[in-house]
Amino acid sequence: MSEKFIRAINADEIAPGGMKAVELEGNEIVICNCGGKYYAIERRCGHMNAPLDMGTLDGIYLTCPMHCAQFDITNGEALSGPVPSDIGHEIPPPFLGKYLQNIELLMKHVHTESIRTYATKLEAGWVQIRL
Amino acid sequence: MSQSLVNIESRKKSLHYFFEKVVGPLGFKFTPDKEMMNFLLEQEVILEGRHGIPFCPCQPLRNDRMRDMQIVCPCIPFHRKHFDEIKRCWCGLFVHKDVLDPDKLPQLPPKEVNNE
Amino acid sequence: MKKITVYTLSTCPWCRKTKNFFNEHKIQFTYIDYDMADEATQNRISQELDAAGANGFPYVKINDEVIVGYQPERYSKALGI
Repeated sequence: MSEKFIRAINADEIAPGGMKAVELEGNEIVICNCGGKYYAIERRCGHMNAPLDMGTLDGIYLTCPMHCAQFDITNGEALSGPVPSDIGHEIPPPFLGKYLQNIELLMKHVHTESIRTYATKLEAGWVQIRL
Repeated sequence: MSQSLVNIESRKKSLHYFFEKVVGPLGFKFTPDKEMMNFLLEQEVILEGRHGIPFCPCQPLRNDRMRDMQIVCPCIPFHRKHFDEIKRCWCGLFVHKDVLDPDKLPQLPPKEVNNE
Repeated sequence: MKKITVYTLSTCPWCRKTKNFFNEHKIQFTYIDYDMADEATQNRISQELDAAGANGFPYVKINDEVIVGYQPERYSKALGI
């Protein structure tokens, strides 16, 4: 980890409660504005790598859009894993049914890891990140 | 996520945050019995670890998505009339906002409540 | 002697209080933790709950009388204590 903070984004670009994905030196990072305080987390969900900026932010809690794993953006902690989805009452055609069953079987072995966070600094209207 | 991998206190705190926003507009609050509140939230974290969803710790899962969704906490909207009558939800995690002594609220099923 | 059967959940504090009630009064009872039971038992109990119009646990049977929810006064009354 370098000591240097680098400019990531203009603070005005993210409204309170909002998020934006940026790429800094090859790192995909999501910057969150939580009531005027900026947090930076890695973009990829600790479950199956979905882009977290496409999820929802409520206070300091971010919910992934893919399977709804939840994270604390202040420390990257994974708070809950995927929510089981329901394919409804309609019985799928055999090939699809088997495919979905297989996916479900594989997903049982996927853990939800906590995500990396980055230190941030607000300076002269810019959000800066330490990689 | 399996229960062994989640930090129970962290998850309880986040559930508290989310639930508070939902039950307030419905006229409910967390029970003032902190010990009961903590116990029930902890059970819900355990249930979430088992099933992926924080279900009510005191109602049966039926293996029927339609029915099971009705006991996802906070389940007040699905039992509004009943819970408004007894001034609490079934497991007692939530009580009416004016309740100061939750111990005095009996756990009566729908059949035994005035309007049923 | 009255036959007492209790259906409970391992996660439910009111179910614990119910078991404690019978233990403290030194009354024999059998119980099944629904969430820990096998599928067949769960189906059976689920159907019984529906037939009785019961919404949840604890579900106490004292002979033929069914009491839903933690209701120690009614247990006492049903037991004549």
